[in-house]
Amino acid sequence: MRRRRGRGPGGLRGAQLIVVTGKGGVGKTTVAAALARLLAARDRRVVLLELDAREPLHRFLDVPPSAGEPIAAGPHLHLLNLRPQAVMEALVRDRLKIAPLARAVTASPVFRHFVDGAPGMKELAVLGHSLRLVRREVRPHADLVIVDAPATGHGVGLLAAPALVSEAIGGGPLGRLAGEVAEFVGDPARTAVVVAALAEEMPVQEALELFAMMRERLGRTPDLVAVNGLYPPFPTATVGAGSREQGAGGAIELWRQRRAMNERELERLAAACQGPLARIPLFPESPGPALVRQVADVLAGAIAPQEPR
Amino acid sequence: MTAGPRGTPLLVVVGAGGVGKTTLAAALGLAAAEAGARTLVMTFDPSLRLKDALGVGDAARQRPVTVPLEGPGLLEVSLLDARATFDDLVRRYAPDAAAAARILDNRFYQHLAGHLAGTLEYMAVERLFEVSAEGRYDRVILDTPPTQQAIDFLEAPDRIVAFLDSGALRIALAPWFSAAGRLRVGAAARGVARLLDRLVGLGLLSDMAEFFQAFSPLYAGFRERALAVRQLLRDPGTGFALVAGTGIERTPETLFFARRLREAGHRLAAVVVNQVHPAVTLPPDLPAALAPGLGLVAWLGQRDARGLRELEELLAGDPPLIAVPLRPVPPTTLPALSALGRELATVPALRSRDTASRHGGG
Repeated sequence: MRRRRGRGPGGLRGAQLIVVTGKGGVGKTTVAAALARLLAARDRRVVLLELDAREPLHRFLDVPPSAGEPIAAGPHLHLLNLRPQAVMEALVRDRLKIAPLARAVTASPVFRHFVDGAPGMKELAVLGHSLRLVRREVRPHADLVIVDAPATGHGVGLLAAPALVSEAIGGGPLGRLAGEVAEFVGDPARTAVVVAALAEEMPVQEALELFAMMRERLGRTPDLVAVNGLYPPFPTATVGAGSREQGAGGAIELWRQRRAMNERELERLAAACQGPLARIPLFPESPGPALVRQVADVLAGAIAPQEPR
Repeated sequence: MTAGPRGTPLLVVVGAGGVGKTTLAAALGLAAAEAGARTLVMTFDPSLRLKDALGVGDAARQRPVTVPLEGPGLLEVSLLDARATFDDLVRRYAPDAAAAARILDNRFYQHLAGHLAGTLEYMAVERLFEVSAEGRYDRVILDTPPTQQAIDFLEAPDRIVAFLDSGALRIALAPWFSAAGRLRVGAAARGVARLLDRLVGLGLLSDMAEFFQAFSPLYAGFRERALAVRQLLRDPGTGFALVAGTGIERTPETLFFARRLREAGHRLAAVVVNQVHPAVTLPPDLPAALAPGLGLVAWLGQRDARGLRELEELLAGDPPLIAVPLRPVPPTTLPALSALGRELATVPALRSRDTASRHGGG
């Protein structure tokens, strides 16, 4: 595949694939939806891939659930919920060319168990589909695929899988596909990683472990760390003695301590990652489209617009 | 005094990722030990500070480590490691060392042991079964791994058995391999097999076949044990504490977990809503400097109260619901954990003595 000219390892700006990762409960899905909204608003044709069978993402974009079909979620933006088994079958059909043979393969119990049990197959299916989307081999045509990665396994497993499969299988159409996908996700100019985190002790510890795993297994660092849920800065002047007397003392103390923890943990994160850090306030807003818009506004400040080509 | 058929009341702490299961499991363990029970807490990935507070390091991956406490009770903490437990099981059930080595060295096994969905969950229950059978403790508390869906954990034994026991897979692989495990690429490899072979090449498939060959003497032991584990999770002496996040938008998820637990025949002991923000009355003369933070905390308090009210109405006391207030500082010291544990123990089902006595007679 021809490489585009003039694009250095540019983080998020020129990437064709962005994998958003992070542990459960850190606002990863909100960040994925906000990134998709932001970059679609900057005229990139975005497909947001969801792998969770419970389909939480459509509620963040105010559209009906995808159920395996692309759903238009605004100008330049589609939501797509992927079922790895179905994608794998589509890949086999595509690679085997002859439909009756492909059906025979995908209907066989060997194939079922192979996709279920063989390590890395589902991951390969998802990333292989992403590659086909940006190559315009399947609809909707995209410049950029954003994957809301599963909360377990840190998303590193997702990115490491194609290389593992390629090594394990070697030849055959699937082996060749694994090789192509491994090259795609291994190229920092084409694939970027965003880590979502909270500035609290355990989530930061998990983020630091994730950075180490990324260095070790993928040889890369995050292109952006999106830190969610920050309490507002605590006023430095001694104010509010009156409020304290009127019963808000507990809330003030909670705010002060939480903000102090946020700052401590932000420092720990900043010291461990060289890349940019987006500081996202804790908005008085339930998860949903309105929160996504506010988070997208914060991310806009952290991701400089792409220079005109 | 015996509790269930196996002697040890178990409490399994389940819930979505990031809701504070590990801290609550440690607090419950501490409270049980301080009430005089010999207690084991099995956990996965505690924070560094929690490990420091409990005084457990990596040694707890090998064997339970005792937390220094005053008083008559005992608290031991064990850290779970899926891969090590799986390896141990292979060694135990393999007919001889050479057979064990064949499995442990197999490339497919090496991927499988770490990656097969539910391995970690299954291994947790395996260890639970072991300590329960030993009968050394009055109380065992199991923290569950951070799965996206709490329910994955419960289905793990069935899934693993189905996979290991998968006659379909062995039969499907059979045409490719002779009884001696040799690859038969000639006449027998035809149709679907040949096509799949064209797709993936032979390397991985021969690894898989070799794995199932090497594994076959272990089937009986694994299967029997998995069935026992399945039974243990449905024992009347085993209770589940479902930990939920705050906010009204989490209610459907919480109810869904609760329903699934019960439908699958598990005893739901309590629902714990963790890290509930306090109710705040904003003073009329609120200084401008305090408005952003206090306004936010007030909003969070209202959001959490709405969620709690809704959940309370829908559960109607069955199981009991307990709200744990958000602490300004996370409870990562022994005194803080102990206070949290005592708070949780106000729900009788979460108290060690109650569970023990309830099942003592029957």
